[in-house]
Amino acid sequence: MTDMFVTLGTWNWLIFGLVLMALELVAPGVFLFWLGLAAVLVGLVSFAISPSWQVQLLMFAVFAAAAVPVWRRLARTDRTAQANSPFLNRRAEALVGRVFTLEKPIIDGSGTVRIDDTVWRVAGPDAPAGSRVKIVRADGASLTVAAA
Amino acid sequence: MTGFDLFAIAFVLLVIVTLFAGIKTVPQGYDWTIERFGKYTRTLSPGLSLIVPYFDRVGRKMNMMEQVIAIPEQEVITKDNASVTVDGVAFFQVFEAAKASYEVTNLENAITVLTMTNIRSVMGSMDLDQVLSHRDEINERLLRVVDAAVSPWGVKVNRIEIKDIVPPADLVEAMGRQMKAERVKRADILQAEGQRQSDILRAEGAKQSQILQAEGRREAAFRDAEARERSAEAEAKATQMVSEAIAKGDVAALNYFIADKYIKAFGQLADAPNQKVIMLPIEAMSLLSSLAGIGEIAKATFGESAASALAAARRPTSVPPAGSPPPVTP
Repeated sequence: MTDMFVTLGTWNWLIFGLVLMALELVAPGVFLFWLGLAAVLVGLVSFAISPSWQVQLLMFAVFAAAAVPVWRRLARTDRTAQANSPFLNRRAEALVGRVFTLEKPIIDGSGTVRIDDTVWRVAGPDAPAGSRVKIVRADGASLTVAAA
Repeated sequence: MTGFDLFAIAFVLLVIVTLFAGIKTVPQGYDWTIERFGKYTRTLSPGLSLIVPYFDRVGRKMNMMEQVIAIPEQEVITKDNASVTVDGVAFFQVFEAAKASYEVTNLENAITVLTMTNIRSVMGSMDLDQVLSHRDEINERLLRVVDAAVSPWGVKVNRIEIKDIVPPADLVEAMGRQMKAERVKRADILQAEGQRQSDILRAEGAKQSQILQAEGRREAAFRDAEARERSAEAEAKATQMVSEAIAKGDVAALNYFIADKYIKAFGQLADAPNQKVIMLPIEAMSLLSSLAGIGEIAKATFGESAASALAAARRPTSVPPAGSPPPVTP
């Protein structure tokens, strides 16, 4: 194993890196692509200065660790990008801003509103049945309303 | 293999393992809770995120999609003591991964048991007929109660649906018979109603026709009476007119009329089609010859008395018999 590493050296890193990148496609989201990138970098550096294999290994570890902040920056820009369905699995947030009519009055700051054939718990100022309320905030499965 | 060799290998392995421990990719539809030394700190949303290796670890991988639980069959006793088998489904969704992870031990089991007990209490307060016909109301009541009960767990129950309500077989059979009896009763009642209506109509018709007949008879009687009155009046008037005429005029004229009628009557007797020979009484024969004398006699006897003359005219047969001496005027 180590013999193979020593003899093949640089090419091994490149092959290893490409294999890791390919594996990323098979098992996505496991950071393998970045490890592959680190391995390819090590290979390129080894062409230039040909360090001992131990140093190459350490370099690989350092590059892999350094890949994390780079990847985070990319991920952050990705996160600010608008998703196609921003409210996926966040149904309560999707209701914010909408206006509904109370079926039953809000008493002591809590009541229910019928939305999409189900009942949502709402919190807000007391209001008689039939009055219109606007949803201002979603907090878990509970909605905060204000008079519309 | 020197120590440095081994260190290098170990270091690389450690770095790789650490990286894998610190980088988490959360798939869409799930939220992962992060525990630092066993204590919950934060929730990872879907996507790539970093945690601090050695300190943090993933606690629960909570499914944030809407889920369906089958509520198992159970025996429920209704208010009127019918035992029915009921099952259903509940749809719920986790809204707060942390609460759903740590506030309740076994979320699905908890929701299932809660729903089952509430099905018992809701159906137990209803009659069997209501249970069978008010499913919407049952679902609604269950939803409100269970949804309020699961709110501390960061969960929302969206729907609860009763699937099958199966009464015992003998009860189903009885219900079938009841329905049949109900229909038969309705049919019988309708038939009786029809019979009654038709009888009433027939009686009405008969009554009406009798009334009309009676009215007709009454009308006819009235008119008959009127006719009799009129004819009597006419008779009276005619008599009066005749008597007046006689009083004014000559008796000879009266005699003429009487004789004329008398002869015509005899003519009719002779013309009777079923008789060739007519037997005439002697008196009648002599009457013929004495006709001319009657006028004279009457004139001689009664003179100017019109009433007597009229009487003689009324009774043409009351002539004195032949052979009797004619009345002599004094």
